[in-house]
Amino acid sequence: MPEVESIACQECGQLHRYHAIAPGKTANCSRCGAVLYRNRPGMLDSVLALTLAGLTLFVLTNVFPLLGLRAQGAEQELHLLGASLAFWDQGYPVVAGLIVLNIIVFPVFELLTLLMVVLTIRYRWKPSMAIFLFRWMREFKPWGMLEVFMLGVLVAVVKLGDLATLIVGAAFWSFAGLILTMTAATALLDPFSVWRALEKNND
Amino acid sequence: MIKHKALLQCRVCGCLSHAPTQLKRFEVMHCPRCGARVKLAQQSTSVEVTWALLIAAAILYIPANLLPIMSVYMLGAGQPDTIITGVYHLLEAGQWPLALIVFVASIVVPLLKLFTLSFLLISIQRRSRWRQYDRMRLYRITEYVGRWSMVDVFVIAILTGLVQFGNLARVDANLGSLSFAAVVVLTMFAARTLDEHLIWDIAQQEEAQA
Repeated sequence: MPEVESIACQECGQLHRYHAIAPGKTANCSRCGAVLYRNRPGMLDSVLALTLAGLTLFVLTNVFPLLGLRAQGAEQELHLLGASLAFWDQGYPVVAGLIVLNIIVFPVFELLTLLMVVLTIRYRWKPSMAIFLFRWMREFKPWGMLEVFMLGVLVAVVKLGDLATLIVGAAFWSFAGLILTMTAATALLDPFSVWRALEKNND
Repeated sequence: MIKHKALLQCRVCGCLSHAPTQLKRFEVMHCPRCGARVKLAQQSTSVEVTWALLIAAAILYIPANLLPIMSVYMLGAGQPDTIITGVYHLLEAGQWPLALIVFVASIVVPLLKLFTLSFLLISIQRRSRWRQYDRMRLYRITEYVGRWSMVDVFVIAILTGLVQFGNLARVDANLGSLSFAAVVVLTMFAARTLDEHLIWDIAQQEEAQA
């Protein structure tokens, strides 16, 4: 395909010619300065490691309680799923569904897609499934809201601070770790290189 | 999607492809690399769809702010909170950094989003060439910041999930939270459907005509 040699900036549409760059270097758009592509040796291995760590942390986050509250001898615990479905019990199933998507479905989808993409490139599998998943992962990206939820947890913790005795659960820390690993994976991943590598698998 | 001498760019993966010389009515073009739909300039409904979503969001913004979003019951006595009274209670308790976070995420950001997207749409419809680079930056910021408005919905979810001690202390969600969640979702869709490349296309079309 001759189109591969010409590329357009994803931000502003400026046309550029693709040329190989040295390891560790970044190519930027001449008009708006956005990153066009990067040459990062070992990117796939780092993303693979972060994805596996992320999946492990996600399981831990679901198993242990996120927060606990003790008031007048009574105790209440909150798990990640409980927080997602709290609106359901209150008679707002649509909002509950939205939250389940935001903090469970889309983050898991992103982790599994990254795993699939990295393995496909590494073992030169047929790329059609990975291409399909990666495309939808990019479309769903804004709807995964782990870091926004974490800010919500922090606000709730301070709000409840003087009301009762608050217990910060183990899942709170694995959740924080999950956010860090997913942010790192996003920062490391160069979509241009991934698309190029997936395309090459077809040849 | 951009038009560059009959070259089209996929919005999802960035792949360039040639525009078909003839496209039948209702015919859809797909990106050769990732399969996402690539719209031709004459097929773009971006401006109309974004306006529809924005107007819907602006209408729902009213009940989102007037109706209570949650009620806190202490020893049987209930106290419903709207977004603004929630911020006020935080200020009263001396937790002004928290009040600031909630105020910005729940009131400033959705309102700014409604205004910014309307401004961008109007400037596109007027075929403005004014500060295109800055307008694109404005779009990027708006698109990125929008999701943080969900923070208040999450806070309500955590409080209602955690504080259920019967008559002693209880937090319930109210209808305002549903309207507010709808505003966030609608404005996120509006930011997504607005094709920011339209900001640049005007200049290119005029250059091509000259």
